[in-house]
Amino acid sequence: MSEIISREALLRAVDEWLKQGVPVLGPSRINDAFVAYAPLASSDALALDGYIHPRNSIKEAVFPKHEKIYAYHIKGSGVELEDPERSVAKQIVLAARPCDAAALPILDHVFNWDFKDAFYNARRAATTVVTLACTEHDAQCFCTSVGLGPAAENGSDAMLLPLGDGTFEVRCFTDKGRELFAGKTESSGQAAKVPAGPPERLDVGPITEFLKDSFDNPIWNELTLRCLGCGACAYECPTCHCFDIVDEGNAAGGYRAKNWDSCQFEMFTMHASGHNPRARQAQRQRQRVMHKFSIYPQKFGEVLCTGCGNCTRNCPVSLGILNTLMDLAAHLDTTGAK
Amino acid sequence: MEQELRDTCKRLLEEGAVDVIIGYGQSMPDGPVCPVFIKKAEDVGRLVWNRQCFGNLATYLTRKEIKALGKPAIVVKGCDERAVVVLEQESQIDRASVYVIGMACEGVGDPPASKCGYCDVHMPRFADAVIGEVANEPVSQDGRYAELDAFMKKTPEERFAYWTNELSRCVKCYACREVCPMCYCNRCIVDKNRPAVIDTSSTPMANFAWNMARAFHQAGRCVGCGECARVCPAGINLRLLNDSLAKAAEEGFGYRAGMDKDTPPVIGSYALQDEEEFIQ
Repeated sequence: MSEIISREALLRAVDEWLKQGVPVLGPSRINDAFVAYAPLASSDALALDGYIHPRNSIKEAVFPKHEKIYAYHIKGSGVELEDPERSVAKQIVLAARPCDAAALPILDHVFNWDFKDAFYNARRAATTVVTLACTEHDAQCFCTSVGLGPAAENGSDAMLLPLGDGTFEVRCFTDKGRELFAGKTESSGQAAKVPAGPPERLDVGPITEFLKDSFDNPIWNELTLRCLGCGACAYECPTCHCFDIVDEGNAAGGYRAKNWDSCQFEMFTMHASGHNPRARQAQRQRQRVMHKFSIYPQKFGEVLCTGCGNCTRNCPVSLGILNTLMDLAAHLDTTGAK
Repeated sequence: MEQELRDTCKRLLEEGAVDVIIGYGQSMPDGPVCPVFIKKAEDVGRLVWNRQCFGNLATYLTRKEIKALGKPAIVVKGCDERAVVVLEQESQIDRASVYVIGMACEGVGDPPASKCGYCDVHMPRFADAVIGEVANEPVSQDGRYAELDAFMKKTPEERFAYWTNELSRCVKCYACREVCPMCYCNRCIVDKNRPAVIDTSSTPMANFAWNMARAFHQAGRCVGCGECARVCPAGINLRLLNDSLAKAAEEGFGYRAGMDKDTPPVIGSYALQDEEEFIQ
């Protein structure tokens, strides 16, 4: 037996959640050519098909691009500090791609390693993630090469699996998921077939080995020459999590905030002295690949990549993790380098 | 055309006329078209020419990693070539040290990009070698700014609401800046942090500040290649902003950036008889 929900019942549920004041983030058609995860004003805005992957990721729900840490007010010779509202209300992420949801358990490690990030943890605890299993993939998808797949359950509280007739099988994995769909599904004999997903494009193992000793390898210059040094890859990546701390304001007061940052920017490693240990773009690209496939796995045991392909889709010059890894794999094949 | 392009590049590399070809290729056999840098004559087969050759490669001419490769030949469409002209006018490149290969272009994208619908530079005009042939038909000023003109029919309140909504999605990845051949500053104003000039936060105010600052720095300089809008991962139609200032330069001064290298740049020149008092 399985539990199913019709498209209409799902859309009714969205409107019900919104009516209860629960924000719902889901794929939404921004314009003809463009689908992105966005806060839904109503179920009408939810886009459930006609795209492979939204142009952004769901990380905004737990790790906003800009978050105030505290505010300060200068009064005479003193300074008053003010805590922002920390209680984060319940929120739902709906129809997330499994590769986006899978990023959350990965991010949990880094935000709870030596320091427990109260901002991240509050949002994470308040968020229920409902994924939508993939029925299609494009040339940028490579989830199956990093141990995931079109119906990977990591990070999902519940998953919708299209049955092909406008209804979805609903699989709940956590109490949050069960609570969300309680009373909203019907029992059925139908069970969704999980599609095969993209073919495995490469074997990450040898690349991870190669990365351990490739810091000064000239290959980085060759592979990354076209990189323009923007942050599109990092900002639309579900697992990239670097941030900067800034103070902004004026003589009367202001705030300290946590903002997304990217290792692809020259400013990311610029020292106050003017020295920059990563002065060239190739070094910054090397850092991005190393962090995902060497540094993070060494520290936390898993790669910092879910194979979503958003880096390639969003790159102005189509330089993504997939083609860099494939180029590295080809390099290993030709040179026999370890 | 693709074969002729490869033959031309092969000859240039074999003769030692240039050290590197900045052209279009493919990232993977089945992958999208992307910039490639060809240094050996035997590699010219990697060069492609088709309707997916979107990028404006002129942005690479001022980059230190690319300059370090030696004298370049660059593959340009007519719209990209305008950027090469502006870079020369603004003393960012020594034109004699760049070999320009102009491609006769009937438009990119399928369906064609909107900019191609009112293009009057299908045929490059100042290139050292031109490959292919297509006529340049004049386009009226109204045709050029039709999208902007339609937008400007909205009320100021409607336009402000539009930009507030659009710019709220900006994540400050600066892809617009990096693809832009005209954004070649060694240190962008948004990267100045001692003191900070523009807040780096992605707040509504700071998103406006960034996007307006970039647009104003493009006044009379934007060549309308549309790359900023094409690459924006937030889907913001940044070309509307640039078109607005391009139209002002055309209406007020009869100037279109990069159309003619002998016309003094509208921002980079002045005349003593200028009627504005501030100039005297």
